[in-house]
Amino acid sequence: MGECSFWDWITDTLHLRDLPFMGAPSLMFNVRYWFGTIAVAALAWQVLTGLILLLYYQPSNAYDSTMAIIHNVPFGSILLSSHLYGAYVMILAAYVHGIDVFLRGTYKKSGGAQWVLGVLLFVLTLGVSFIGYSLTGDVLATDAVDVGKGVLTALGLQSLIPVFFGNGTQLDLFTRLLGWHIIVAAVIILLFMLHYPRVGYRVPAISRNNDLTIKPWWPRNLIFTLAVTLLTWGVILLVPSILAVPQVLGKVPILFSPYPGPSLTSPQASSIPAYPPWFFLFLYKMVDMPFGLTVNAVMGIVIPLVVLLIIPALDRGGSPHLLDRPWVTALFITGLIWVIELSVWGAVQPGIPVKPTWFAVVIIPPVLVSFGGVYAARRRWIKVKGRIARFTTRGVKFSLSKNTAVALGYSTSMIAIVAITTSFALNPISDGPYVGVMWGIALISLAASLMAYLYVEYL
Amino acid sequence: MAGGGVDEGRRNFLKAMIIVAGLSVFVGMLRGLEVLVPPKVGLEEFPRLLLVDERGNPIKASSIPVNGRQIALFPYPLNNEPNMLLNLGDENGKPVEVPPITVVIPQNGVSYEFPGGVGPSRSIVAYSAICQHLGCTFPELTFYPPGVKVMTANGPMDKIIYCRCHGSTFDPYRGGAVVTGPTVRPLPAVVLEWDPSTDELYAVKMIGPVIYGHPGFSNPTLDTVKNPTGDLQGGSPAGVATTVVKYYSNPIL
Repeated sequence: MGECSFWDWITDTLHLRDLPFMGAPSLMFNVRYWFGTIAVAALAWQVLTGLILLLYYQPSNAYDSTMAIIHNVPFGSILLSSHLYGAYVMILAAYVHGIDVFLRGTYKKSGGAQWVLGVLLFVLTLGVSFIGYSLTGDVLATDAVDVGKGVLTALGLQSLIPVFFGNGTQLDLFTRLLGWHIIVAAVIILLFMLHYPRVGYRVPAISRNNDLTIKPWWPRNLIFTLAVTLLTWGVILLVPSILAVPQVLGKVPILFSPYPGPSLTSPQASSIPAYPPWFFLFLYKMVDMPFGLTVNAVMGIVIPLVVLLIIPALDRGGSPHLLDRPWVTALFITGLIWVIELSVWGAVQPGIPVKPTWFAVVIIPPVLVSFGGVYAARRRWIKVKGRIARFTTRGVKFSLSKNTAVALGYSTSMIAIVAITTSFALNPISDGPYVGVMWGIALISLAASLMAYLYVEYL
Repeated sequence: MAGGGVDEGRRNFLKAMIIVAGLSVFVGMLRGLEVLVPPKVGLEEFPRLLLVDERGNPIKASSIPVNGRQIALFPYPLNNEPNMLLNLGDENGKPVEVPPITVVIPQNGVSYEFPGGVGPSRSIVAYSAICQHLGCTFPELTFYPPGVKVMTANGPMDKIIYCRCHGSTFDPYRGGAVVTGPTVRPLPAVVLEWDPSTDELYAVKMIGPVIYGHPGFSNPTLDTVKNPTGDLQGGSPAGVATTVVKYYSNPIL
């Protein structure tokens, strides 16, 4: 078998069997466990595209140089819009990853250090995205920076305004934003390196199982990691490219537009509400609350952050089951509902002051529903707890036939080849969004065929 | 459970397909490296620019000092292409008519017609202030007026444009032709127009080799010397309707 010995040769030459990575049991090859990987794949995309953007962005000419990237640089529209959506995907993946870790209660096991690092990474990710969003110098960015200054002032941190936003000139503002964007991104990469190595060893399914299905990292994990990465990059390319297609672009709400908004000096600027980026809408609505800016900012930033950071200290040992830690569960659900409610509210009524009654109507019910629901479920849970086997078979019993998977693998790799071939017929400047769509389809199809292969060969 | 009942031929075919697809996508996206190539900046054609002073007032041809103690520089056609504006004279400070002349490029023998001086005495000329040898600019490359001699490869000389970097010598009275090396190309000349009714000067195009450092400068073909369009690329335009003449003291005086 010539092919086999070729792979063996690669494996031996690169010492792939000796890499200090953990293998995983078959049941772990489920996207649920891979949102951390998705966030990192998005981060890698951000580093790649961000470094290229650095070759074109001019702090002295922020808005015009940004628009020139879209209109004049080959593949520039893909570069810029995928850098924006890469951030969105990273934020969403970080949310889901955090929620997943919370639901599984694994923050108890790591002694809290991983959780705290994770929360810091999340905050820095939101921060670096905010700065990046402001770099375009469009009307939204200008509003976002002004609100940011107001929030810092409200928290008594006005001495930090010149540190982050410069001496007041436009040139210093954008030079500093660019500098901080890169510095914070570098800190994220460093913290991730601390966050990563232990994760492999703390995967709960491994520590609990001496399962024979745990096979070595090479090649199963590599194939899956590669597939997840390509899938992530495909989505990062495909979504903004579809939104950037001329017929679609006009209908995209400004909060999700793949391109910057109008410039501050354009006549259209006055018709656009002072929106922050969508992931800060909840905070933006908190600023409208009727308690004064300082209290609002403390409620919207400081308290949630402190609570998130000290959860592992408050909720230490015991069972990781959600209903065995009812108040933490209820608090977490309440917080999530608040974030969603406030974000939607912020999108619908940006900057409109909130009356106390409305505050009560929106803020109090989630508390009652979450705590009431969780404690009611817990009463039921305590009665049946001992009688349910801890690990029932997970997942759906449906299983794809291997022959079907092979057929899927064939067709998806054909789609990838066709899509990438089509992209060669398109002009990298005038057809940017269509190239992005083709690349997105090619990457997603390739990821699908890799997953089909993994399934046929190793699962 | 490798394969799960799928025969080995089909599995290997799948593997081969994925490798082909992976390589295609990789190669296809390598095309994206074109993102690193910056868009070209510059002009489509030579603009007709009025020469003005720093206040925006047009330069009067008859008021340009003959063999001036100062060197007048203006950018044309792009901002990073400085040119010397000279009103040439003899030892007595009288303007000298600069006749049209055929300039030969020592590098390859190609020649072009220099149109001669303009202005009331046909004594005003303009040449690129970037040396064709290795790109030294004013003040290294400067004009030695009559009576101010410099030691060149041909002995002490005046009435030349001499580059103090490596000793290249050009003759501004004869279309910027090469007097001594190491340069193998003459200085590109700005084609000027003089409006006798207003006494104003216009830069209308370049002639000769492409200005040093711009696309095609090292290869002066018969076509490029007549219309050196490489001058139009690699910088921002010097101006829309005007280009500003600034005076600098001549370092050798």
